[in-house]
Amino acid sequence: MVKVFAGAALIMVLVGLALGAIGAALFGNQPYIPLPEVHLAPQEVLTIAGFTITNTLLSAWLTTIVVILLFGLGSRATRMVPGRWQGFMEMFLEALYNFIKGVAGEKFARPFFPILATMFIFVSFNAWMALLPIYPTVGFTADGHHEITTHLFRSSGTDINMPLALAVISFLFAEIWGFKVHGIGYLKEFFRGPNPLNTFIGIIELLSHFIRLISFTFRLFGNMLAGEIVLGMMTFLLVFLVPLAFYGMELLVGGVQALIFMGLTLVFTVMAVATHGDHDNEHSEAGSH
Amino acid sequence: MLAAPLLAEEASGIGALGIDLSSLLVYLINFAVLSVILYFFAYKRILGVLDARSAKIKESLEEADRVRVNAQEQQEQMQRTLDEGRQEGQRVLLEAREAAERYREQQQEQARAQSEEMLQRARADIETERDAALEQVRAQFAGLAVTAAERIIRRSLDENTHRDLIDEVLAEGETMQSQE
Repeated sequence: MVKVFAGAALIMVLVGLALGAIGAALFGNQPYIPLPEVHLAPQEVLTIAGFTITNTLLSAWLTTIVVILLFGLGSRATRMVPGRWQGFMEMFLEALYNFIKGVAGEKFARPFFPILATMFIFVSFNAWMALLPIYPTVGFTADGHHEITTHLFRSSGTDINMPLALAVISFLFAEIWGFKVHGIGYLKEFFRGPNPLNTFIGIIELLSHFIRLISFTFRLFGNMLAGEIVLGMMTFLLVFLVPLAFYGMELLVGGVQALIFMGLTLVFTVMAVATHGDHDNEHSEAGSH
Repeated sequence: MLAAPLLAEEASGIGALGIDLSSLLVYLINFAVLSVILYFFAYKRILGVLDARSAKIKESLEEADRVRVNAQEQQEQMQRTLDEGRQEGQRVLLEAREAAERYREQQQEQARAQSEEMLQRARADIETERDAALEQVRAQFAGLAVTAAERIIRRSLDENTHRDLIDEVLAEGETMQSQE
């Protein structure tokens, strides 16, 4: 049985190789899958009342609807003895909650949870849904061409506006919590007194907070766009089977990126709500190590 | 619906990324809406049921502890009651034995006293009977003596006759005594 599967897989790989771009180059025929176009910017699908709806925005809405249906229906009639779906929801959300509680502690875990969990769910589901076949196969063709020039759906992570929006939310979340806990005294983190060294450190600290916007945005954007390009190119080159391995990798990348985005937001928020005394202690402890 | 040219495709530099304020706002609103909906329709319910289950498990464990402690207390109390009952039984048995012993001794003493009394009474009766008998004998002897005297007086008696007379009187006296 194993040999049969191995033989079938080998045949598929060889056929894929022959039909793909490498085979096309060797045998001089047209590649089975056209060369994917790389677009940095999202593509316009339609315009309503002057507002342009892009394929990435449609994807974000589709993800939103799917997530609401999954989680809303999963927790529609919660019972003390859960069914399978409720059990899965509980396991998923409890894992997230425990992760947040492990970093932020019992006191802040509950108020931090909704935004951070939504961040993780939205980023991960958005990345995972982009692996569905409808994403690269459904779209619009240009006049007189067979190839799709504008896809109906495209992972919103590849639209820089989505990572930027999440980065803004992450930034605001951390800073608002900092002000909420320390009041105006939170500014002492950035304005540390007349000492030139402290002033310099304060400015660096202030800059680091704003630079997070850029790092958050481009980390997610870069990873999602790179994933899309890798999948497109591997499908273009090898057509069958081998691209599946990259789909698996992208499944992992989606989860990891979501975890990183949520985790960094969590850490920055915890740092913001920690007292300055705690910071000093941490620094002195770090220094002693 | 239409297939449209790419956004910002003609732009260069940072503009080529397609940063668009209106899209940014839509994503922000989309995230806010998703957060609110998930909060009310998923997080609140799921975390609520997790909290309730956690509280129920905690309560059940405490209840189980209480039941265990109660059972232990009841078992100890039963053991105490059993021990007390056993001790009480021993005490009652001991008391019963002592009471029986006392009763036996009392009865023995009483029997001894009764028998002593009966003996005394018998002795007294015998004494009385003997005295009465002696009195009677004495009276008979007196009568016999009188009779003998009368007979002596009526006949002149030689020595042998006198002796025979006395023997006769004594024999009569013994006969009378044995008859009584």
